[in-house]
Amino acid sequence: MAGKRSAEASYEASSSKRTRKTPSARDTPDPSGDLEFPEIISDDESTPSNMQGLVPRSATINLSALSRKLAQEKHNSDGRPIPSGSRGGGQKQQDLVSYIFQDHDFNFLHLKPDHASRPLWISPEDGNIILEGFSPIAEQAQDFLIAISEPVSRPAFIHEYKLTSYSLYAAVSVGLETNDIIEVLNRLSKVPVPDSIVSFIRDCTVSYGKVKLVLKHNKYFIESSYPDTLQTLLKDEVIRDARVISAAPGQSQVALFTTSKAPQKGALVIPGTKEAEKSRQQAGQAQAGASKDAPPQGDKPTQTDADLFTSVVGVENDEIDEEDENVHSFEIADAKIDGVKKRCNELEYPMLEEYDFRNDTVNANLEIDLKPATVIRPYQEKSLSKMFGNGRARSGIIVLPCGAGKTLVGITAACTIKKSCLVLCTSSVSVMQWRQQFLQWSNITDKQISVFTADQKEKFAGESGIVVSTYSMVANTHNRSHESKKMMDFLTGREWGFILLDEVHVVPAAMFRRVVSTIKAHSKLGLTATLVREDDKISDLNYMIGPKLYEANWMDLAAKGHIANVQCAEVWCPMTPEFYREYLKEQSRKRMLLYCMNPNKFQACQFLINYHEERGDKIIVFSDNVFALEAYAKKLEKPYICGSTQQQERMRILQHFQHSPQVNTIFLSKVGDTSIDLPEATCLIQISSHFGSRRQEAQRLGRILRAKRRNDEGFNAFFYSLVSKDTQEMYYSTKRQQFLIDQGYSFKVITHLEGMDKLPNLVYRTKQEQLELITAVLLANESAADLGSDIRAADGDLAGTVTSKDFGKGFPAVRRTAGNMHSLSGAGHVAYVEKNRSVNKQLSKEPAQRHKLFKSRQAAVEKAKKEARRNAAS
Amino acid sequence: MKALKGVLVTCDAAVKQILLHMNTEQHFIIQDLDDTHLVIKGEELERIRRALDVELEKNTYSFE
Repeated sequence: MAGKRSAEASYEASSSKRTRKTPSARDTPDPSGDLEFPEIISDDESTPSNMQGLVPRSATINLSALSRKLAQEKHNSDGRPIPSGSRGGGQKQQDLVSYIFQDHDFNFLHLKPDHASRPLWISPEDGNIILEGFSPIAEQAQDFLIAISEPVSRPAFIHEYKLTSYSLYAAVSVGLETNDIIEVLNRLSKVPVPDSIVSFIRDCTVSYGKVKLVLKHNKYFIESSYPDTLQTLLKDEVIRDARVISAAPGQSQVALFTTSKAPQKGALVIPGTKEAEKSRQQAGQAQAGASKDAPPQGDKPTQTDADLFTSVVGVENDEIDEEDENVHSFEIADAKIDGVKKRCNELEYPMLEEYDFRNDTVNANLEIDLKPATVIRPYQEKSLSKMFGNGRARSGIIVLPCGAGKTLVGITAACTIKKSCLVLCTSSVSVMQWRQQFLQWSNITDKQISVFTADQKEKFAGESGIVVSTYSMVANTHNRSHESKKMMDFLTGREWGFILLDEVHVVPAAMFRRVVSTIKAHSKLGLTATLVREDDKISDLNYMIGPKLYEANWMDLAAKGHIANVQCAEVWCPMTPEFYREYLKEQSRKRMLLYCMNPNKFQACQFLINYHEERGDKIIVFSDNVFALEAYAKKLEKPYICGSTQQQERMRILQHFQHSPQVNTIFLSKVGDTSIDLPEATCLIQISSHFGSRRQEAQRLGRILRAKRRNDEGFNAFFYSLVSKDTQEMYYSTKRQQFLIDQGYSFKVITHLEGMDKLPNLVYRTKQEQLELITAVLLANESAADLGSDIRAADGDLAGTVTSKDFGKGFPAVRRTAGNMHSLSGAGHVAYVEKNRSVNKQLSKEPAQRHKLFKSRQAAVEKAKKEARRNAAS
Repeated sequence: MKALKGVLVTCDAAVKQILLHMNTEQHFIIQDLDDTHLVIKGEELERIRRALDVELEKNTYSFE
């Protein structure tokens, strides 16, 4: 809320006139305190103590003046002071300040007397929930809010959530009851829950989740604990037609419902969890599942207040509510399932899809389990418990940050369901990675897991198994080769227990629909790090896969050491007058080249590299623009990798970066956005990026989140964005940061790097050099301004999500060039000396020869060891 | 020689470039003094002020 207040635009003839639209996030004082940024002079005068600076003047309330005025009015009205806190005084207070808030005046909501100890406030208009993140019970409140609403923004102190129909749908799907939701909200809220919100919750929950679509013994059943609801549905023509009536005619319809006990979590154990360990230990005892009734809840506080939350939030506990309820169901015909689904949505009874995999006797089981050494982390367990809460598999989406082990969550889910499984990812590179991860974490054999890509089309051996493929391979509708057609028939011809969808946020809706409709799967799980789409079509996913089951809090994971702590900064580099003049003249895409090649940016980049290399950091510099990438890397004499870099050279550079103390910085083009896994990197600088893509920003941050050194005492990783001032880049940069800001990261603005001028051999120091640079930039082709022009998708990769390492295939293509005899014979090279050589070529090809001294020394050591062993044996 | 009402403008280097750029469309600069100073026509001040605001706002990201 606070972030949306636009600051008063005061006129000043300075160009750094970016209004602070997000004061809450940008200027949140850093809780850790110790910043390791290079000495900076930022324009941030708004230190935490001076919070007034953040609030536009029109919105600040002059309290002393108000109270004086109030006192005066009291005095005037009846001559004697009204006791403070009484109704009359409150009324007056209202009149004095309410005009400031205009439409957002919520004075009619009266605070509860003990509001100070209650952490949240709900907006009666749009269901936004503001949570005090510093409240002692905030953590429990968060657990609850995650279950019923969607996190909007989670900076350090004030969190914002939003109640939406989808989030309530998800809440019902994990077993929460309408009255419990309202009850808990009321307890946590500073004001009584507004009627509009209560009725919204009721409206959403009354129909959502009451009807379930269950695949049992390979037949579809519509199931509900409320017979009335089923009656309502049966009154509809479409649904009545689809119903399969198996009992003798003449009976009343109610009697036709099959009634059975509600499912319980029972003995289901998610592998890799503490419970799994426990039950393994108790394997000898008869009641292995008994431990379920006393789940480990060590982390739940034991205050009396806590009971309230656990009874609602605790997943284990909701079976207790359901235990004595019966569920009713009727069967519907397989062929008409699509029509019924659609009809149910229209009737506002959307069906939840659950898969009762333990009672599925038709599909063969898959012998798959996590390796005994594999232990999953608490948040991974939590996300899975949302999925398997009642012993069946729910379909939905799990959101975890990059580097927090999404893959393992997917694998564990597959190990829990133990049925044939189809994994879909975005590129052929990640296909191989998924396969490799499956082999690494689970006991699945090579034969049971197969891949389906443009190059490889295998089927697994035996009754059940795992197939890894890409979205486009499966969704492709035209021109299949004979082999892939056969493979597709294999995929569509069978029933899948589980379909795993990687990076769900990038898949176009149409492609998705095709995948979902051609593949028959009992349960679906979507995985993603950034549930944002630049086209904001997230809600499509909601009904195609299912609700968001779990979303991790990035800050929480960082605090617990699962991902690295990152300090983010945006460095403002002023444009030199010459560059800015050209920038203003230029209207084409070349503008971008101008702000990338800004000499001040060069200098800032050089300075930051120097500074962090001295600290012992390993640095990755990102540039989407290949022209800029090469120019920077060559000027600053660092190795670089772009699409045209040969595979061998690429491996050599990466190896040197990982192991050699000589190479501490590498430059990467878009190829490094995903897939290249460099846990050594601790610092990241970006000089050019893909416009305002929030996803790319998050993905790049993900490169350093898994830093090896993250658990070192006081370790911080660094993320810098270099931005040319007064250009479009400022706009894009702010836009890009929004996602991370919502996750609780705060970007510091650095306007001046202290000590940069004193750096010896600073590049482009003289006007002369700068002028040469601008000539070079102006001479460059317009195509040099293209982004990511160096990478091509392999067959079967999803457009726009190209990942790396997969190069050399038909690239670079054959080129026709004109030449004269002189140059073709090689004579042209005689006079040619490459002064500005790429450092790539200077890296030694072979590992350095060891000195004779060390060789002989090692031989001596080994000899001594052998001797010792012989002595011990005798 | 006719007397002109002028206003001395102090600005940073980037804004000066923007002003010079605007000047190519409609002339208003009387004298270009140095990197950060200009003298412009007094009667144009308000128009320039507004135009500059628009220009700078282009690079600002806002939620709505």
